[in-house]
Amino acid sequence: MATRDKLARARTEEYLAEHPADTEALISVRGLKKYYNKGVIKALDGVDVDIHRGEVVVIIGPSGGGKSTLLRSLNLLEEPTEGAVFFEGVDISRKKDDEGKKIDINVVRQKMGMVFQQFNLFPHKTVIENMILAPVELGKLKEAEAREKALKLLERVGLGDRADAYPIQLSGGQQQRVAIVRALCMDPDVMLFDEPTSALDPEMVGEVLDVMKQLAEEGMTMAVVTHEMHFAREVGSRILFLADGKLVEQGTPDEIFSHPKSERLQDFLSKVLI
Amino acid sequence: MFTQAGFAAAFEYWPMFLEGVLCTVLLSAFAVFFGFILALILALCRMCKFAPLRWLATAYVEIFRATPMLVQVLLIYNVFTLAFELPTFLVFGLFRFNRFLPGIVALSLNSGAYLSEVIRSGISSIPIGQTEAARSLGLPAWKTMRLVVLPQAIKNILPAMANEFVTIIKESSITYLIGVQEIMSVVKAVQGATYRQMEALVYAAVLYFCLTFPTSKIIAHFERKMSRGYKR
Ligand SMILES: Nc1ncnc2c1ncn2[C@@H]1O[C@H](COP(=O)(O)OP(=O)(O)O)[C@@H](O)[C@H]1O
Ligand SMILES: [Mg+2]
Repeated sequence: MATRDKLARARTEEYLAEHPADTEALISVRGLKKYYNKGVIKALDGVDVDIHRGEVVVIIGPSGGGKSTLLRSLNLLEEPTEGAVFFEGVDISRKKDDEGKKIDINVVRQKMGMVFQQFNLFPHKTVIENMILAPVELGKLKEAEAREKALKLLERVGLGDRADAYPIQLSGGQQQRVAIVRALCMDPDVMLFDEPTSALDPEMVGEVLDVMKQLAEEGMTMAVVTHEMHFAREVGSRILFLADGKLVEQGTPDEIFSHPKSERLQDFLSKVLI
Repeated sequence: MFTQAGFAAAFEYWPMFLEGVLCTVLLSAFAVFFGFILALILALCRMCKFAPLRWLATAYVEIFRATPMLVQVLLIYNVFTLAFELPTFLVFGLFRFNRFLPGIVALSLNSGAYLSEVIRSGISSIPIGQTEAARSLGLPAWKTMRLVVLPQAIKNILPAMANEFVTIIKESSITYLIGVQEIMSVVKAVQGATYRQMEALVYAAVLYFCLTFPTSKIIAHFERKMSRGYKR
């Protein structure tokens, strides 16, 4: 096991020597591979991506193409089989940095908010308790400050009066808005969204997209996996098309949607843009 | 077989029966309490990344589940009395500590093995998304376990925990063999004094029933209430 890790690391170093990370970028991914079942499933098969500050990167592609795996590799919810993830210039996929100092993934994750398809609110806690849990427990804010901040954020997404409700008492759209502000309560430098509207009833999709759009307009760096092509086109600053674990094509919304180059993308678009 | 005189004679010993009931309840409550703590540790060990700890905990659980309680109680009692010079004072002025303690230890060790399975399934019944959400906020693994997963898991397993309490009330009867002064030991005392045990056994059965039946009914009531979810 350890030797395989070492081999993978050696190959990663080799790859990095030829394809150095962009240390100016907020996130820089190099040679990212994620295999399951001893390589039978190649969820990611060598992906290079840079995400710069203020960018809204939208990831599209067929189901099973590796979108979630890529997003979840950015905050190391998935451990890469091979390859490197740089955050703010530091390779966080390593155990230690160049000076031998241990890389604390928990500290890194505090700066990367994540929103899930299934909301994943804590059902045993009220809305406001959900929001202040991490900032208070991690010593980022005092409880009173955290409450004040949480209430302000809730006001902003139109849920100021639901602070003391339990998640089960909220609609799906409301729960997802809470999940977004829960992540924002940590003051992240980037927000990762994995199909945030896919589990919602159609009439609630808009309210969540509106919050995300507002966030984008305020300059938040975002990586969004979504099937909402209108949103991708309107809000995205760059679109990534991921299929079979590979980054098949990337470009501006216009390039991707109006002038797709690869057959794979043309085929995909013909199915989703009716 | 049963005689009215026999019932009357055994009834004379009701203060002892009451003490026996108190002993059984205390014994079982302590056993489930310490058993729970042990079970929590075992369950966490069985899920941890460090393989030797996992094997150790698994071996423990399997051994305790695959051997009779009677053997465990006798073994633990004998090991205990050989290894330690236990003080001989009376708990609540009633129960011999040097018997009561090994009784609690034996029942806790056994209960811990069974409860660890309950806790493990309780923890794995919590969707992985809960852990991922907590970890994505930067909470370390143990804080995630303590603040997010365990509170939900324990709520789910409370009924099973209470059932274990009922089970232990019944199984604790075995500890009369090592001289714990619980209900069954009173039966033996009555038999020694009156040369009859049938009537005393009936009293014991009634007492066990009175302890366990309402407890199970109360559990079932709360189980129904809790299954309604997190509503106020
Ligand atoms: N934990 C896992 N075990 C095995 N295979 C997995 C696992 N997670 C994802 N995969 C596989 O990896 C591939 C990519 O999955 P995913 O990243 O979820 O795709 P997408 O989000 O684009 O639909 C799929 O073939 C999926 O079945
Ligand atoms: Mg997905």
